[in-house]
Amino acid sequence: MALIHIEDLSKHFKILNRHEGLTGSFRDLFSHDYRTVKAVDGISFDIEPGEMVGYIGPNGAGKSTTIKMMTGILKQTSGTILVNDHVPYENRIRQAQIMGVVFGQRSQLWWDLPVIESFRILKEIYKVDQKSFDEHLALFDDLVGLSALYSQQVRTLSLGQRMLCDITVSFLHNPSVVFLDEPTIGLDVSVKAKIRSLIRELNRVSNTTIILTTHDLGDVEALCKRIIIIDKGTILYDGSTDKVSQLFGVFRTLEVQVADGDQGATDLIEARLTERFGEEAAIMVRPKDESWTAMTIDQARIPLSDVLNFMMTTFPVDDVRIVEISMENVVQRIYEGALQ
Amino acid sequence: MRKYLALSKGWFMTGMVYRFGFIATIVGNILYMVIAYYLWTSVYDGQEVINGLSFDQTFLYVALASTVFILFNTYVDWLMSFEIREGRITNYLVKPIDHQLAVLAYGGGRTILNILIVTVPTALLLTFAFGVAIPVGVGLLLFPVSLFLAFLISFCFDYAVGLTGFYTESIWGLVTVKETLILALSGALIPIQFFPEGLQNLLRWLPFSAIYHTPLMMITQPDQGLGLLLERLAFQFFWVGTLFVFTRLFYNRAIKVLRIAGG
Repeated sequence: MALIHIEDLSKHFKILNRHEGLTGSFRDLFSHDYRTVKAVDGISFDIEPGEMVGYIGPNGAGKSTTIKMMTGILKQTSGTILVNDHVPYENRIRQAQIMGVVFGQRSQLWWDLPVIESFRILKEIYKVDQKSFDEHLALFDDLVGLSALYSQQVRTLSLGQRMLCDITVSFLHNPSVVFLDEPTIGLDVSVKAKIRSLIRELNRVSNTTIILTTHDLGDVEALCKRIIIIDKGTILYDGSTDKVSQLFGVFRTLEVQVADGDQGATDLIEARLTERFGEEAAIMVRPKDESWTAMTIDQARIPLSDVLNFMMTTFPVDDVRIVEISMENVVQRIYEGALQ
Repeated sequence: MRKYLALSKGWFMTGMVYRFGFIATIVGNILYMVIAYYLWTSVYDGQEVINGLSFDQTFLYVALASTVFILFNTYVDWLMSFEIREGRITNYLVKPIDHQLAVLAYGGGRTILNILIVTVPTALLLTFAFGVAIPVGVGLLLFPVSLFLAFLISFCFDYAVGLTGFYTESIWGLVTVKETLILALSGALIPIQFFPEGLQNLLRWLPFSAIYHTPLMMITQPDQGLGLLLERLAFQFFWVGTLFVFTRLFYNRAIKVLRIAGG
């Protein structure tokens, strides 16, 4: 039996259409001019016990809304959602006992107190017995050397340290499922790696189901065998992470800054690239801010170095950067049929 | 209930971190008492008893009222509206705790802190600096019980105002209305005996007087007869029960706004 069962789940919000200006804000006071936003629109999936699933999509895709329905914060507009065979928002207190939740942007720790106090308070809230509490603390210390932080006030922790504490404490009561909402947001590469290995170990040791939402494909590649991609409230892809990374691993975006670049520069670059590499759209060109132009290159067809060489010799290039493919790009490629 | 005790302890310790804020509170309270002392001295102006209260009783009443006001001043409503607006309310919703009791734990933790840091020093000051003798009687024994019930009633008002945070981003106006109503109608500023006869009877039946007047009269007029004191306690119990049920139903309604409209 699946731990999480979701079938044809939708969540629609009614949003007031705001008007501009002072008169507009007075009109809003009495306005009944609503529009419906379909934050989640008919999604279905099952998640098995012990699975680690990446749930990803661009901003506003419906990730957080889905998580909020799974954790019982929001009630769905229609469809079925069962966590451990129960409806999350009914009998919330029993459901909360089997869940752990980390919202990356919002700590559950006591801001003004030493870290260990948050652990002690949560021990009481989840009714964790002393033996299990000690065992978990020993485990956390093993994994990330957490005991060094216990006596520090939470407000003095770095973002990465705080996240280590927030993640470990959500495993304190042996939950069946842990929701990690953007756990690596705003962290630098080395801290990200530490967080990833912590999550992997916690999943291995406790066999806890983990649902990970993130902007960063790297998180999912490092942790999850399965990936669910959502955009505009519907599921675009649900399957193995390998397939997605094989496909998108070959894409890189090259950004160049051209001296005396203006609006016409992007068009000129596009024209020259087409001239040089042929009609087929193996290179997607679009203007970035000011003098920058971005080119997303399918490396399976054209080596990035060729494009770079060509750019350097053809244009007065000031600066260059190479970036991983972004979530928005992945979604766009899927719409274009990349995974079919 | 250990989980709520743990929460209370957490808030108590958080309050301790900001210990310097209390100095201002104590100084403010002392200043208020000095002003009240001279104000009521001039009101009495040689008279022994006004409206059945001696100067000592009235001054003790007024001084304790301002102390109790600080005692119950836990900012529950502000905390709630802040947590709702910032979305921190979700931290309660994903944990196996009851929201009303968790917020009560916060109010309780802050109140115990207030007792230690404001109430005890004030009581000492009243006894030694102003030379006010606290009358001994059966009312003194019932006072702690009555004060506890008064705290619960005061909490319910704060909690109800805090819940309006689900409907509006600014609860400032409502907080002001609440504080004014309570201060004026509870006998916190002026003892209820000083109100006109008809108004007095009305006020005794409203929950406001159960916050200040009831516990304070236990200590200022402890010899009123056990029957009357127990009647007032029963009345407090009635309001605690009623307001707890009311605020709980209100919460169940208010949380639907979040459940359906999103947080």
